[in-house]
Amino acid sequence: MTLPAIVPALLLIAAPDPAPPVVSLASLVVPSAVLADGSTIELQTLPPPLPAEDSDEATAVAPPPEGTQSVTVAAERPRHDVGDPLQPFNRAMFGAHEAFDKAVLRPAAMGYKHVVPKPARSAIRNVLSNLTEPIVFLNDLLQLKPGRAIKTFGRFVFNSTLGLGGVLDIAKLPGLKLPHHDNSFGDTLAYYGVGPGPYLFLPFVGPTDLRDFLASQPENLVLPLAVGHPFDQAKYQVPKAVIGGLDQRAEADQDLQALFSTAVDPYATLRSVYLQNRIGEVQALKHGTAKVTISPLDTSLSDPLSNPLADPAASPPKSQPSPPELDDPLTDPATGK
Amino acid sequence: MRMFPLAAVAIAAVAAPVYAQASDPAVATIQSLDDGLIEIMRAGKAAGERGRAAKIGPVIDRAFDIPLMTRLAVGPSWNSIAPADQQALVSAFRRMTVAQYAGNFDGFSGQSFVIAPQVESRGGDKLVRTTLKDPHGEDVAIAYRLRQNGGAWKIIDVFYKNSISQIATRRSDFASALSKGGAKALIAHLNALAAKAGG
Repeated sequence: MTLPAIVPALLLIAAPDPAPPVVSLASLVVPSAVLADGSTIELQTLPPPLPAEDSDEATAVAPPPEGTQSVTVAAERPRHDVGDPLQPFNRAMFGAHEAFDKAVLRPAAMGYKHVVPKPARSAIRNVLSNLTEPIVFLNDLLQLKPGRAIKTFGRFVFNSTLGLGGVLDIAKLPGLKLPHHDNSFGDTLAYYGVGPGPYLFLPFVGPTDLRDFLASQPENLVLPLAVGHPFDQAKYQVPKAVIGGLDQRAEADQDLQALFSTAVDPYATLRSVYLQNRIGEVQALKHGTAKVTISPLDTSLSDPLSNPLADPAASPPKSQPSPPELDDPLTDPATGK
Repeated sequence: MRMFPLAAVAIAAVAAPVYAQASDPAVATIQSLDDGLIEIMRAGKAAGERGRAAKIGPVIDRAFDIPLMTRLAVGPSWNSIAPADQQALVSAFRRMTVAQYAGNFDGFSGQSFVIAPQVESRGGDKLVRTTLKDPHGEDVAIAYRLRQNGGAWKIIDVFYKNSISQIATRRSDFASALSKGGAKALIAHLNALAAKAGG
């Protein structure tokens, strides 16, 4: 078996569904990209929210956990940015990635979008996404979720056959109701309690964390090892990486612009959004989307004006707030009102 | 036997929105924001960014507690900032918020907002959950945290996908500028961004 270019992190990601055409809400999509043996890049968008498959749809509102208000007098966060001990390295990588994006990646992606008709782009996206379903299936099984695994299997079978090898996503149509959901080895590790480790921003990978980055490596080998030809061929992997990457960069463009155009510090904004979103995904994986156990109300938001601890006399200005997005996004060093 | 509770839930789900909108002032605040957003989406590109900003500005002033959101985003160092700079920060934050909405909600293709009738209350705050329904894309969960101020329920934080807090994101966004250049640097940054966005 030939495994020419080991293209890291290329085979794992499901392409997202077409982005909403009009309303681009910042912070919904996060970019990523992958460098393949020095020449190939791919930009990924973050997985879309898990489908609320077991929820009662319109009424999927979490009941407030009674008496669980965690408004405690929180201590001041440590000065360094929580979850980002590698910040100097990450910032340097972010700068390099942005420069490359501006000069090469974005223009190429916009060109791809301009030249290739929309139906063709959707078809390619669907095929690539369909090829990730076996990995989703594997992780459904690893998480001991047979119901989900069966749905993933059914989805893969329908789309691979009636969907003409994945060109058409017929499985998500109302009759079948088997929409794509993301599930990676990183998700499985998180499901079993492995923490994210330090935040990472890597050129051509994008925002990630140590757990998810390491866990994504073996996923690239599943299809080449399990199926072999043509997935282990450079003539498949390189075009796939280039086209998939350009497509995902193009699809993410509106959201990225919305996110960065109002950011004072794009690096910190992207990190914050990525980490908060990842926490939300892991929570949904553990507890299901129907009953989100973390209520946004569970963090205290204290007005600095009514906070004696924040008085400059009591607390020197050195103790600036650090981005506390990791476990308690909104807790001020405060009395909790 | 099982049919009865199910039927009751179904009826409640249908009947509740009207009831809740009439009764919960927090829901009314969100309704007015969502109506305003649909309006500028319909106004679309024809209205221009400035036109949409002029329309949504007063809506945002009524729905959001911009001064409190500014203080929360800045954090405890707020109290060590000179009053004139505090004023400038609040108006820069407002300008930024208006520019953000006017820039992002710039066209209409059948979207609608669904406001969940159930309102969570905790520690003086309320949480209203909404869904942005997009016939051409994925639905997006948007939740609002509200706090009472001067008799009105005003938004103090917005959560995308129920997990991404706008205040938490802004705190991260502001921290570096604040610690390096203080309030004045942040004001300059915000105003430059808003100007670039056409606000």
